[in-house]
Formats: sequence, C-alpha cells, structure tokens
Amino acid sequence: MGNEKAFTIEKNDFGRLLEHLLKKYRVFGPTQRGLDATFNEIKTNDQLFLDYVSTVLPPKKFFHPPRLELFSFDLHQKHVKIEEIKQDEKTLLLGIHPCDVHALLRLDDFFLGEFQDPYYQNRRKNTVLVALNCIEPSDYAFCNSMGTGPFLEEGYDLLLTDIGTKYLIEIGSDTGQNILKGIQLENATTADFTEKNHRFKLLEKRFKRFINTSWLSKIAQENIDHEVWERLGEQGGVSGSLPCLSCGQCSLVCPTCYCYDVYDTLDLSLKKGKRIRELDSCQLLEYGEVAQGGNFRPNRKDRIRHWMLCKLGVAAGGQQSSCVGCGRCIRTCPVGIDITEVAKVLRGE
Amino acid sequence: MSNDLKPHMAIVKDITIENSNTKTYVLEFADKQQHKNFTWDPGQFMMLSLFGVGEAALSISNIPEDGLISTTIRAVGNVTKKIKELKKGDTLGMRGPYGTGWPIKEAKGKNILLIAGGMGLAPLRGVINHIAIKRNNFGHLEIIYGARTPNDMIFTNQFRDWYQIEKSRLDLTVDGIPPGTPWEGKIGLVTSCFPAMKTRPQNSVALVCGPEVMMRFVAKCLETIGFKENQIFLSLERRMKCGIGKCGHCQLGPKYVCKDGPVFPYRDIKPYINPL
Repeated sequence: MGNEKAFTIEKNDFGRLLEHLLKKYRVFGPTQRGLDATFNEIKTNDQLFLDYVSTVLPPKKFFHPPRLELFSFDLHQKHVKIEEIKQDEKTLLLGIHPCDVHALLRLDDFFLGEFQDPYYQNRRKNTVLVALNCIEPSDYAFCNSMGTGPFLEEGYDLLLTDIGTKYLIEIGSDTGQNILKGIQLENATTADFTEKNHRFKLLEKRFKRFINTSWLSKIAQENIDHEVWERLGEQGGVSGSLPCLSCGQCSLVCPTCYCYDVYDTLDLSLKKGKRIRELDSCQLLEYGEVAQGGNFRPNRKDRIRHWMLCKLGVAAGGQQSSCVGCGRCIRTCPVGIDITEVAKVLRGE
Repeated sequence: MSNDLKPHMAIVKDITIENSNTKTYVLEFADKQQHKNFTWDPGQFMMLSLFGVGEAALSISNIPEDGLISTTIRAVGNVTKKIKELKKGDTLGMRGPYGTGWPIKEAKGKNILLIAGGMGLAPLRGVINHIAIKRNNFGHLEIIYGARTPNDMIFTNQFRDWYQIEKSRLDLTVDGIPPGTPWEGKIGLVTSCFPAMKTRPQNSVALVCGPEVMMRFVAKCLETIGFKENQIFLSLERRMKCGIGKCGHCQLGPKYVCKDGPVFPYRDIKPYINPL
C-alpha cells in the first residue's frame, strides 16, 4: 500500500474526522457500556471508545439483525397484500476490528452467492466500513492463528491504525477515497508505516490463544465419532470445561453464525401482520425438530458437535460460516468450552 | 433485485381427500405469467404460506397439468393444520420450486424400484406418473408401499391405475390393521416385501422416501442384496425455514437438504444418517 494513498490525524483532533463523517452518514461505533464495549450509534466524539478490545456482540447485528421484519401482509383482501420492509439508510461502521471484517467477508460470500438475500445485500451496500486495527488482543482471541487479524489487509473502505498520538488512515476503496474529500488531513510518512509495522510485530507476540489450522477441517471431518464430542456434550468436559448447556450463547455472539428462524406475527386486528426472521442456534433443541415430534439432533452431543464442525468449516456453510478467531464464544460460554482446546484434542495433542 | 423469501399468491383450484388427515391440493399461481413459466422436477418442493400462521416446505406430488401444482399434505403441524381448513377458491402464499429432485434423466433405460413409507409416496407420485406416460423410456417398474394402517395410505384411488401399468408390480404392506378394517395386502414393514421383490440390482435404481428410520433400514437391506450406494436415492425431510440454503435448519453434515437435496444419492449422505 503506497504512502500517497494514506493520511494521518492526531488523536485529539479525531472529532473533526467524525464530524465530517456524520455529515453524510449515520455513524455506528464502539461505545463503553459498563465493563464491556458495544456497537452503538455515535453522535459525538466523546461517545466513541476506540481503545476497545472486543465487543459483546459482533457487528453482524447491523447486517443480519437478531430480529428482522421481512415483509408486512394485509389480510383484508383475499389477494393478500405483501409489502417488503426495506432499509435504505446510509450508514457508516466506525472502528470495526479485522476479525469482524473477515467475518463480514465470509457472510458476503454466504448471503450474496447463490440465492442472494436482499435484506443483507441492502444493508451491506449501504454501509461504509471504517476498520480499526487492534491495539491489544483480547484474552480469548486467536485471530492471528486464523489469518484474520490483528491487522487487516482487505475488505475495508478506510482503515485506521493507532500509531501513538495519531491514527494512520489507509484507503481501501473508491468509497473510502470519496469519504475523505473535503477534509484536511496530514499525508502519511514512511515513519508512520514503520511505526505501524513495529506495532504489528509487538502485537503478534501478545496472543494467549492459538489454534493449529493445518489440515484442521479435514481432521474434524474425519473425527465425527471422536470421544471428545461425548465429553463436550454429555460428560467430562474438555480441558477444565463442563459439558455444554445448550444455551446457544456461542451462536449469538459468533460473527459468522447465520442460522435463523422464521415466524409470523399478527396485530390485534388479526388482519395485519409481519413475517419475522430471528437469529436461531443449532444448540437449541427446537432447531432440529421436524413433523410429529421428530428431532434430528436430540442430544447435546449432536448439537455441540454440529456447531464445532461448522466453525471448523466442515458443515454446510463451509468456510463461509467458519471461525475467525474473535474468541467471543470462549468468553461468553458459561461452562468454559474453548474451541482452541477442542481443536487440540481432535488433533491428539 | 428479486426477493426469494417473498411468497406469491396462489389459489386452491381443487381438493381431494386422501384419508382422515391428508388431502391433496391443486394450486395455481394467481399471476398468469408465473403460472405459465412454472417448471419443476418430481421430488422438488414448494414453500407454502398461510399469512399469520407461518410457512412450511411441502413436496410437489404430481405432474402439473397446465401448470397446476399438486401437493399432498397431512395435517400435523401449525401450518398444515390450518391448510386443512382451506376450501376451493381460497388463497395462500406460495414460492418455489426448490431443491434437487429425483434423478429421472439418469434413470432412463433402467429398472425402477420405488419404496415408499406413509406420506413418502407423495414426492414419488410424480415419478410414477412420468414413467406411466413415457413407459418405453424405462425398464421394469416396481412399487413397494407401506403405511402404518390401511387408513394411513394415500393415493389409494390410483392403485388400480398403477396395477395396469405395463411391466410393473405394486406391492402393499401395513404395520397393522385396526379391527374392522378390510385389508388384502401384506402385514409387516416395507422390508418384509423384499423377498418377493422382482427388481435385481443390475441396471436398476432404487428411489426411496419415507420416515428416516425406515430409509436407513431399506438402504441397508438394498446394499445387502447388491445395490451400490450410487444406485440408491433417498428423499429426506427437514423443517426448512427458507428453502434456499440460508436458514441453516436442514443442514446434514456438509449438505443442505433444501438445496443439495431433498433427494440425495445414498453415497453422499450415508455417514451422516447412519450413526446419527
């Protein structure tokens, strides 16, 4: 990436950049909520929390919302009137970390491949990504092992890197270039890039979790009868964890878990209603239900195995729903299940 | 862009009662153009919507005459119980067809063995009718159909026609007979019809649809008598929420039942249905 396409801005001057962005977009970014960080709407600079480590929920919530209204219907006429519910607002996502950008790139492949999902596409098309390279890995992250962090190489419109008192701003797309029109910024120097590389090298050494990905998908695929699944699902646990509770939190916080449920709601008139889709989880018993009380994954073992295999890239979603190493599932799991430990056991380490 | 998740209105043109809990509905898209453009393969399915109740995946159960779509529905879930209340002329939402159907092209020139259990005959009826019409394109046709009781059978009024199909054999069996029900066929699981089966593995394909546990046993028995894994095709059931490989509910190992199936060569899914 050439220096000519990069700029810098002093940290204490960042408000000027934000104001510039707010002129054109609704901006969402990391904010501090208690001890956690979450993505929220940003109206002023003091709301921004760019030094965050990880957010509770991934930015998936903006593109594949936990609950989404698909269309409304009106039953007054025999020929039911169906109207798609659209969202066309221009938004900008500020401060999204590399692992989460990679997760979006995978969801792009998933939702925009065969059978395009217009709801995802609309949101994605209308959202600018201003990514932010990580400052510090979370205790749970292993993006470095997955090739999805802690620094980003692709998928951004603009990319920020904390290089001390300044942010380095790199341009990744025409949209990114256009956004910066009309704002005065310092040109980046070779020293700025040297500092970026230096920080990357330091950061790489600070990871606490690793996963050996070599042949991992293949190993997982060939081990669907491994005893680790019994330990994970029913008895024993893995590396100090307890067996899975099937609570589904891992799916909720996973940036690549895409599964959803669909249902209808009616208002009090019983004549008007909406079709809703809501995030679902393969960990929940109801997920595998079929007619007449049948269930294709009646045991916790079946369900946790399915999730793990999905994250290791060998379920139906393939690489598109696989793990980006953000570590959110490890952090949120109430019984301490750790996918990096499961991978070690599968490998026989 | 087009929205695959948005249903189109369809009209109920006709209803046939199959048994106490099952009816066949003949449906037509309200939009004439869409109705004209509709093409499908036997074994594919439609997503039917009753707005305010929900959506369900249901297999197409007949060759459409003039684009009319037949689907045979047993009232067992929220949506299907409401569908049962529909009358001629009523409307509902419909989208599709989806999925990969039976390998009719590959089956050309071969002997066809159809094994169905209960409602599993519905997605196979299209195949039977297709073979009856293009009789010279196929070898011997053998249909083995089992149900829990004679009262659970569907398409009983067509059995007489099927008996008349040239170079064919129809064998019926039930698990049990409620007192007072007349029954002249066999008693036992579908696999109990195997000893009398005419079809031999050579130059044959087996198309199987029914409860998954039945299909597992049928596939195993067929393998035992010499059928190869790629000569056996199974149609699976899952509760699909989208029909287009996005909601995740129908995942089976590395496959989506809605998109890659519902009809699979046994070879492709054997590791995922046998131990599980």
